[in-house]
Amino acid sequence: MIVVACQPASLTDLANLAAVIWDFLSLSLFSLGGGNTLLAEYHHLSVDKYCWLTSRQFADIYALAEAAPGPSSMIVGLLGMGAAWREGPIWGLLSGVAAEVAILLPSTLLMVAAALGWNRFKDSPFRVAFERGLGPITLGILFGVGVKILRTADQDLPALLVSLLVCALMLCTRISPLWFMAVAGVLGGLGLINR
Amino acid sequence: MASSPPPSATASPSATPPPAAPPAPPPSLAELFLGMQQVALSSFGGGLSAWSQRIVVENRRWMSNEDFITGLTVARLFPGPNQINMAVYIGARFHGLVGAMAALAGMLLLPFSVLLLIGLAYFYLHLVLAVDRVLAGVVAAAAGMALSMGFKILGEYRRDPLALLLAAVSFVAMDVFHVRLIPLVLVLGPIAMALYWPRSPRPPAPAPGLGS
Repeated sequence: MIVVACQPASLTDLANLAAVIWDFLSLSLFSLGGGNTLLAEYHHLSVDKYCWLTSRQFADIYALAEAAPGPSSMIVGLLGMGAAWREGPIWGLLSGVAAEVAILLPSTLLMVAAALGWNRFKDSPFRVAFERGLGPITLGILFGVGVKILRTADQDLPALLVSLLVCALMLCTRISPLWFMAVAGVLGGLGLINR
Repeated sequence: MASSPPPSATASPSATPPPAAPPAPPPSLAELFLGMQQVALSSFGGGLSAWSQRIVVENRRWMSNEDFITGLTVARLFPGPNQINMAVYIGARFHGLVGAMAALAGMLLLPFSVLLLIGLAYFYLHLVLAVDRVLAGVVAAAAGMALSMGFKILGEYRRDPLALLLAAVSFVAMDVFHVRLIPLVLVLGPIAMALYWPRSPRPPAPAPGLGS
């Protein structure tokens, strides 16, 4: 795959750093229905806007975050690491931690307020409308994210078939997705799935 | 693995009646940290909210099952990853902001450290051919998981044409016209909320802006 060379945004420029942090802070409050609705935005930021990663690296990182133990929304830590990797691994680690803090801080503060004030809020019509209204939008965005990741990931037919099969198995069985990734990893290692 | 929640965390807790045992005294900050760490460790391989319910409600008896379900509702409603929000909810219930930070640290410290190690390994090794080939397979599977997310909740909206229309509009705006998430939510969100504003016996509340 040919990626048009774009100049990676340097984080040593403070204005740049502030812009990046602002992007993650503001996305935090728009993560409807869990963190996954943000995946397309993460791709936009790290591949198209700031050019930290290639599309292929983004797909790799998404898969690693899914396979790793713990909430898959920690993918932001890996994006942050990719952002500063060319400055060296120490900066990569620091940047990874900073990115994760930035994406979690606003939603966490809001959640603390929600936990403490829920009883006053729970019967308000605003809450009902928010829950019912934003649900369908979340649904649409999740489909959009799924298609986006699929396009980013699959370049050949066997890979696409594997993706569709895994999707069907996710919906129809309760097999842990770790198995799907392990089996597909073996198939990839044998050269049966390419990109 | 937030995208692969254990088989309906809300359904399974409500199926098992809460234990009748009296609640334990409120946990200290250290206990919150350790409890959430136990949740994080137990859920290696998935099933995070089921583990969270077992440890917080059944083993440690910090909160009743009802409280826990309320927490899950709030955690899903508000922005942020659901499991992380749940830890924040539990911590904040007992010790406010500081409690939330303790619970969050317990939930994230080990998994995030592991993830950073994986990241280091990836950035050092991803140009190795064998690694790249294995990853090509893993990526194909992970893409299938991403595709399943929408289908998973589609059933809830099957009988609601308005919801399907809103979902279709969001999908097309995002995937065909490349509208970014924030403007999309800022425009469609208020419209959807107006359309779904609860109709009460009282005169309907002023619907913001467009729509209904």
